[in-house]
Amino acid sequence: MMQQVNITETEIVLDTKDASNSTDINQVPCPEIIAKGLEKRFGQLRAVDGVDLEIPAGELFSLLGPNGAGKSTTIRMLTTLLVPDAGEATIAGLDLRKQRAEIRRKIGVCPQDVVVAELLTPEENVAFVAESHGIPRKEAMRRAVALLEQFGIAGRKTAAKNLSGGMKRRLNLAMALVHEPEIIFLDEPSAGLDPQARRVVWDFIRDLKGKDSTIILTTHDMEEADALSDHIAILDSGKVIASGTPLELKEKFGIGDVLEIQFAGHDAAEAAKALLKGNASVSGITDNGNQRLLISVVGGLEAVEALQRAIMTEAGGVRNLNYRQNTLEDVFLQLTGRRLRD
Amino acid sequence: MSQITLQVEEKPSNKALIVTRLFFKETMRKWQAFIWLVFPIMITVMVCLANSEPIPGTGMHAFDYAFPGMVVYAGGMLVIRSATSFASGKKSGLLDRFDTLPIGRGNIFLGGVLSDTIFGALSIGVMFTLGYAALGVHVASAGALLVGFAIGMLFSIQSIGIGILIAAFAKTPEAASTVSMVIIMPMLFASGSFFIFESSIVYFMPAYWAKQVFFQLVTLGNGLGDPMYSSTLIGSGATAIAIPLWGGLLILVAFTVALLIAGIVTFQKKTAL
Repeated sequence: MMQQVNITETEIVLDTKDASNSTDINQVPCPEIIAKGLEKRFGQLRAVDGVDLEIPAGELFSLLGPNGAGKSTTIRMLTTLLVPDAGEATIAGLDLRKQRAEIRRKIGVCPQDVVVAELLTPEENVAFVAESHGIPRKEAMRRAVALLEQFGIAGRKTAAKNLSGGMKRRLNLAMALVHEPEIIFLDEPSAGLDPQARRVVWDFIRDLKGKDSTIILTTHDMEEADALSDHIAILDSGKVIASGTPLELKEKFGIGDVLEIQFAGHDAAEAAKALLKGNASVSGITDNGNQRLLISVVGGLEAVEALQRAIMTEAGGVRNLNYRQNTLEDVFLQLTGRRLRD
Repeated sequence: MSQITLQVEEKPSNKALIVTRLFFKETMRKWQAFIWLVFPIMITVMVCLANSEPIPGTGMHAFDYAFPGMVVYAGGMLVIRSATSFASGKKSGLLDRFDTLPIGRGNIFLGGVLSDTIFGALSIGVMFTLGYAALGVHVASAGALLVGFAIGMLFSIQSIGIGILIAAFAKTPEAASTVSMVIIMPMLFASGSFFIFESSIVYFMPAYWAKQVFFQLVTLGNGLGDPMYSSTLIGSGATAIAIPLWGGLLILVAFTVALLIAGIVTFQKKTAL
C-alpha cells in the first residue's frame, strides 16, 4: 500500500538543543550564584562592601536589611545593571563581567519600582518581554494571557497606567516570569501592597519555588523573608552580617522566644524573677515596670511551657500572659543594636 | 493511508522590530502625537493664508516659497518627540528594564530611531498631502515629490539625532521638552525656514540645507549641478553660493549622520552600565 506524505508547509524546524545544556548525572551540582568580595562605591559611599554569597540552585534566597543596606545595589550588580568596582561573581556558571549578554538570557528581573510601558496593555507589556527572549509572537501572547490570568489581571484592554497600584505590581512581577527564567530576581516585590495583594504575591512566589527556579528576593520585611525564604543573608551598611536558614539565624542570633507576663503585684513579679534566676532556658529578663516581665526563652515551645507552668504554680499572681516567637527583627536587633525599620 | 502534516514553527521576531513596535505603539497612544501631527498643519494653513499673493514673473505664490520651510518645521518637531521619549525611558527605568533583557543597546537605539522615523514619515506624509493635494503648492514634477519626501525624511532623522543628544543630558522628559524647544525654534528661525534670512549664520544651521535643497529641487525643479542660493528668495536679494545642489545634499547627509551618531554615542556614554 502506498503511503502519502502530505507536507503542508515548506519549512521544517529542527530541534537543535545545545548539548552543553544537558545534565551530567555525575556532575556535582554547583551553586547557581557565587559572589566573592563584591564592592560598589558611589563617591565616598561604599554601598556594597565585600559581599560574599553562595546561592544553591532551586532555593529562595533573601537579602534582608534596612533601606540603604546595599540590597538593591547588590541585585543591580547581579542582574548586570551595575558593574562591580571589585570582586567577582558567576551567575548560572557565567562570568558576571564577561558574559553579561548570556546572563540576561537566564534571568528574570522584577525591579523595585513598577517599570512598565504605561500606554501599552498588560498583555502587550508581558508579551514584549517574552518576545525579547526569542519567544515567537503568538506564543508570547498566549503565555502573557495565561500568566496574567493567574495574576488576576487578564483581559484588561486598558493601558497599564490605568491599573490600580496592586495590579501594576503584579504586572511588574509577571514581566519577570513570562519567559520562565532559570534565576528570578525579585527586588521588594510586595512593597506598597495591601495585605490581601501581598498574600497573592507571596502565594505566587511559593508556587515558583516548586518549579526549579532559583529566586533571589530582597526585602526589608522580616515577615516576608521568614515566610518565604530557604536561606537569608542579612545585610547592613553594605556587608553581610549573618546568613543561614531563618531557623538557624533565630537560634544563633535571636534572644529566644519571648514570654511576656503581667503580674498582679510586685511580690509575685519579684518571686518570679528569683525563680527564673539561673534557669538554663532563660536567656534574659527585662523588667518593663508595672509588674511586667519580658522573659527571653531558649529551647523552643517545650521550654516556654515548662517555664509558664513553673511560674504559675510556684510564683503565682499572673494577671496576663503573652507569648511570641523569636523573629528576624530580634535577630537584626541583636546583631546591630537597631531595629530594621530604624 | 497515513498522512503526515508538518507545521511551520513560528520564528522569533527581530529584536529591533520588537522594540520599534513597542515604541511606536507608545507614541501613537500619546495624546501629544495628535498635537505633533496637527500643529504643523495649523501653522502651514496660517502661513498659507498670510502668503497668498502671487510673485510676478514666476507663476507662483509666496506660499510656494514658504512651504519647504513648513516641511522642515514638521521634521524639526521630531526633536521634541525624540528628546522626551528617550529622556522618559531613562527616567522611568524602562531603559534599565530593557538592559536586563537579551535585547542589547544596539537594538534599543535602532528600535527607538526606527519608531521615530516612522512617525516622521507619517508627519511628512501629512504635510505633503496638505500642501500638494489640498493647498495646491507648486511642484516641479511628480518625481520631485519623491525627492522632497526623501529630503524631509533625512531631516527628520537628523532631528531624531538632535533629540537623542538632548535626552542624553536631560534629567527629566519635561526638561528635555523645554530644552528641545529652546534649541529647535531658534535653529529653524536662523535657517531661513520661516522667513528670508540673508546671513552667513544660515550655513551653520542644518535646517537651511534641508530647506534650500528641497526648495530648489522640488519647487523650482533645479538640477543637482545647479548652484545653491543663499536664501529662499531667488532673485534680487539672493546670491548663488559656491556649492552646487549635490554638495548641499551631501552636507545635509553629513549633518544627519554626524548628529545621529553624536546623539547615540553621547546617550550611550551617559547611560552606560
